[in-house]
Amino acid sequence: MTASQINGLPVVTVRGGDDVAEVRDVIYDPEAGRLVGLTLNKRGFFAGRRREVLPAAAIHAIGRDAVMVLDETSLTAPEDAPEDVGHPATERNVIGDDVLTEGGRSLGVVRDLAVLVGSTGQVVGYQIDKPGGGQGYIPLPAQLAVSGAALVVPDVTEEFVRDDLVGLGAAVDDFRARLGLA
Amino acid sequence: MSDSFRSVAGRKVISRATARDLGVVDHLLVDADQRRIAAIVVGRGRKAQLVDWAELSGFGPDAVMVGDDGALRVPVDDRERASTEGKLDLIGKRTLTEQGNQLGVLVDVTFDTATGALEMLRVGDRDIPAVSLLGCGPYAVVLDSGEEPAP
Repeated sequence: MTASQINGLPVVTVRGGDDVAEVRDVIYDPEAGRLVGLTLNKRGFFAGRRREVLPAAAIHAIGRDAVMVLDETSLTAPEDAPEDVGHPATERNVIGDDVLTEGGRSLGVVRDLAVLVGSTGQVVGYQIDKPGGGQGYIPLPAQLAVSGAALVVPDVTEEFVRDDLVGLGAAVDDFRARLGLA
Repeated sequence: MSDSFRSVAGRKVISRATARDLGVVDHLLVDADQRRIAAIVVGRGRKAQLVDWAELSGFGPDAVMVGDDGALRVPVDDRERASTEGKLDLIGKRTLTEQGNQLGVLVDVTFDTATGALEMLRVGDRDIPAVSLLGCGPYAVVLDSGEEPAP
């Protein structure tokens, strides 16, 4: 699933079966290739922002229909959360970044993050808008360097651009093997 | 003997000591940790009351028998108050796996009338053993579906 599909999901307690919050936004660490946490809204229309955040360590699982936590104590005050969750750095957004190979070819522009369903926030790839139009996915770990403007990826990444998330799943393993990471 | 939540709704509640009619079963309040019935909820709304499972003298096909009239009590905590408002009725509730994926609507629950232990949960057209029950609340019933957690 993509990060934008996580936004708006209810946050539900496993033990209490209660929807204690909903996801406002994901906090992503591009160097680590994973979500480090979630910011939250109160439940219901026009209910507004919740002060607490949900660090990745307190997430039980991110599913298609809900983000699961053990109980309401998983919601953490910003001052008690890890620095990168409680006070996320600005200018770390990769959405809109140009994806450039080492050889200087643009593979497209980052549109969204592909998150592993059932994980606590592992990002397995990026959804991109391809230069010729249409969308694709590139697997992580792809980047050699990242800034607010561009991602630099190995040339071989071009072979692993996939059209859908299903294709991306298989490509991630192949890609990791190719990079000698598997 | 086995009975089900759906068939129990609307059943008469009778005092064994006085033979008085105490009302009808609205729904059953579940203790998810123990996977058993904690209490029966008699009526709904402000006048609803509870009877703890231990106060029942018999759970029969035609009536639920309560030791005596004094076993009816008011809700004492938030969970019991939510229950008397009908928010914790399992029947018709959405189910979620521990991994955050919906399975469908909880259609019915079977239980042992001698012990109050839950037996099977019917979700859509699947029967899931009650040992899978992890939690239940106002939003959802949470189940261990045997899915492998992602790395």
